Amino acid sequence: MIETTAAPFPTIRLRPWLGIIAVAAAAIATWMALVWAPTDAVQGDVYRVIYVHVPAAWLAYLAFFIVFLASVGWLWTRRPWFDALAVSSAEIGVLFTGVFIVAGSIWAKPTWGVWWTWDPRLVTTTVMFAMYLGYLLLRSLSTDFARRATRAAVLGVIAVVDIPIVHLSVLWMNSLHQLPTVARIGAGPSLDASMGMTLGISVVAFTLVYFALLIERMAIERGRQGRILESSRATSDSLARSESTSRVTTSG
Amino acid sequence: MVSENFGFIVAAYAVVWGGIAVYAWSLARRRGGG
Repeated sequence: MIETTAAPFPTIRLRPWLGIIAVAAAAIATWMALVWAPTDAVQGDVYRVIYVHVPAAWLAYLAFFIVFLASVGWLWTRRPWFDALAVSSAEIGVLFTGVFIVAGSIWAKPTWGVWWTWDPRLVTTTVMFAMYLGYLLLRSLSTDFARRATRAAVLGVIAVVDIPIVHLSVLWMNSLHQLPTVARIGAGPSLDASMGMTLGISVVAFTLVYFALLIERMAIERGRQGRILESSRATSDSLARSESTSRVTTSG
Repeated sequence: MVSENFGFIVAAYAVVWGGIAVYAWSLARRRGGG
């Protein structure tokens, strides 16, 4: 049985504050990235793209992992809240993936000499982008709420496999892309401390932005779900009434 | 201060923060539209 009421989102009071804090954190992170952090000895200033490219990539991973958890939640409990969380997180994950691919391409031109190359990291990332874009498109193929949510949840569970493939692709295959500099298996970060701190603040800022967007997107989705489920309940009530009327008429 | 490859840096930041800002604006519009 699917719940048909769209209860207010529990963190409704957090919304404006989280947005303000996220914007402030983003401003601080951008100042640190463009002004405070030192210039890289090898790449010069262009390395500063790392402070938007890497956090956006990590948040895309997080967003898609949350899609996975929410998809399991929907399949397990059939609560529409999980479906709202999954679609909201997937949409933001696609946004973050799109912007980090473009930012990466802009970084590639002065460092690799090309905008794009068929490198394993770039290809697996593009596959991830296409999979979650497909996830969003799949949702438009059915008007039945439960069927649509279930199909999307199955894809949400399968697609998560691509996250470790994207991250580890630079270790598994010969790659032009830089090896992991922070999340290194069996070793600490290979960044200078002040660069690491700037990257850390940037990750915090992007995380706040992600949750601020997620709360807004979920509020929209919960409202939409409430209207859809109320409408389908009204239709089934009306059908039940007309069936019982026709039964009375026939027997009379 | 930032000087070298200034255009690439500005373009990358504009794409990322601009993209996020446009999405946030679209969410505000969707909420406003019900």
